[in-house]
Amino acid sequence: MTTANHLEPYIQLSGISKAYAIGGETVPIFSSLDLKIPSGDFVAIMGPSGSGKSTLLNMLAGIDRPDAGCLRIGSSRLDQMGEAARASWRAHCMGIVFQFYNLLPMLTVAENVELPLLLKSLSARDRRGRVEKVLELVGLADRARQYPVSMSGGQQQRVGIARAIVADPALLLCDEPTGDLDRKSADEVLAMLRMLNREFGKTIVMVTHDPQAALHANRTLHLDKGAFIEERRAA
Amino acid sequence: MSSILRQTFVMTRANIFSLPRRLSISLSMVLSVALVVCVLAGFLAMAKGFETALQSAGSPSVSVVLGGGTNQETGSDIPASVIRTLQAMTGDIGVKRVGDGALVLSREMVVTVEVKPVGTDAGRTLALRGMDAAGAAIRDHVSLSDGRLFAPGAREIVVGDRLGREFGLRTGDSVRLGTVDWRVVGTFSAQGSAFESEIWADLDTVGAAFDRQGQVQSLRMRLAEPAALAVLTRELAAITTTPLIAVSEADLYAAQSERTASLIRLFGWPLSLLMAIGATAGALNTMMNSVSDRTVEIATVRTLGFSRLSASAATWIEAVLLAAVGVLLGLALSWLAFNGWQASTIGGNNARMAFQLAVTGDVMLRAGLLGLAIGVVGGALPAIAATRLPLATALRSRG
Repeated sequence: MTTANHLEPYIQLSGISKAYAIGGETVPIFSSLDLKIPSGDFVAIMGPSGSGKSTLLNMLAGIDRPDAGCLRIGSSRLDQMGEAARASWRAHCMGIVFQFYNLLPMLTVAENVELPLLLKSLSARDRRGRVEKVLELVGLADRARQYPVSMSGGQQQRVGIARAIVADPALLLCDEPTGDLDRKSADEVLAMLRMLNREFGKTIVMVTHDPQAALHANRTLHLDKGAFIEERRAA
Repeated sequence: MSSILRQTFVMTRANIFSLPRRLSISLSMVLSVALVVCVLAGFLAMAKGFETALQSAGSPSVSVVLGGGTNQETGSDIPASVIRTLQAMTGDIGVKRVGDGALVLSREMVVTVEVKPVGTDAGRTLALRGMDAAGAAIRDHVSLSDGRLFAPGAREIVVGDRLGREFGLRTGDSVRLGTVDWRVVGTFSAQGSAFESEIWADLDTVGAAFDRQGQVQSLRMRLAEPAALAVLTRELAAITTTPLIAVSEADLYAAQSERTASLIRLFGWPLSLLMAIGATAGALNTMMNSVSDRTVEIATVRTLGFSRLSASAATWIEAVLLAAVGVLLGLALSWLAFNGWQASTIGGNNARMAFQLAVTGDVMLRAGLLGLAIGVVGGALPAIAATRLPLATALRSRG
């Protein structure tokens, strides 16, 4: 796995605006939002429902676009990319962990983890090798042939993490990764994210409602009414 | 394998493996396609069987001469003077001759008779053909399966195999045709052609029994070669002012088969197309349901970077695969139900003509293509819908 450079600001949002049309009315989510996240940082984003956390994460993931402003991740200007370019960027530069794991139930654990590798020019052997390696990393090497339905929530989320990191992206986005887990499983998942940040230098942005989960991040940003109102740094 | 193919393959596989989640609606699509294919294959098999029965009866080396301005044996009349003149001609008139120089010719007449199948009270109209002794030999692919040919002057008949089976007529049986009884002295095979739907007897005996002495409706003649039909036509025009036409037996039956087969297809295709429209609506519904059912999965893989094209192609492939299963099922059912099934209709002489439905390769191909078209058309819109899923919303709709 690559180790990211800690000195450069990796994610940069400048003057981001976003609004949705709901029932013929335009509802602003952000207006002129700024944010800088250095490479190798682990940031938790908290805030009440409707504060724009998910919209922000969707924009960082390239599945939503800002109405105005500059959204740069690494050397890519996501705000200027078309749909196909953003899909390609997602395939090569980002991994995502979902609250409800979003594993394909009809595929085995190994096949689920392999999905992002199908987008790369790798031989079947190389893909298999990478899958085995990440499953070992998340402690599920012996579950490769099982189907997700036979696993606990914590195990499924570890599969989700394995899928997110198998293509070795520099950026890991986590959408409420512990929201569907009990405390013990949540702590295991958070410890794994921490390990990925510290040992492999992954830049991690995690949206969460759970203050205990946020404690695992280097810093926590509180978002409310479309603006960051508070920042807490880890001790 | 390219990335896009790998994506499509894995998504198609995921779609297929998730079919048990929407088993009933997928099955209904398969069954509706199967029904359309089965119905169309049934009609086409009927048309094909009818065509085969008539076309295999016709030989290009045999000429049928008709008179009276008609192109069918019913209503035709050949004057005796014409027959005498033809038989007296010694030059080349395009017709084969036997050792003594006589023309290979059979004078023929068809009368319709009512026959009751064994064990039933309802009579059916059949064709009794009176012919000269050479009549059977002139025809291609005709051979006696049992017994012997009728004797001149005797009330004896030979019965086509297909008719014999259907009506329970066997050598030695006696059957009433018109007002007199006839004895079955043999049965003949004509390789399943329309001849097997006829009863053959001596021309003069038939004329006497049905008060049509001396009447001849048609002349069947073995041509020296197929191209000699033109010579015969020219000679006929030269010897009489009576309007006579000479057609090859193949053309005569082809024309007869074309009319009825077209009629069968005229009913079959519109009915099948109407059903196909209904099945396409069903397929559309099934595939929309499939896209809806897989919303989160499609959104997930697209978030991972999978292309719109792979999501679309996989949905389309699923539709075509379901249609293909329906096609296979429909073809299997139609083959089991219809292939070789005996049917009958009113033939060219206003008499019953039996034939065998034939689910042939081209019948299967046409019916199968219609079935696949249902999948292709029915899957198109859902395939587009799969590419237009708003990812952010779709990801929130928990799977």
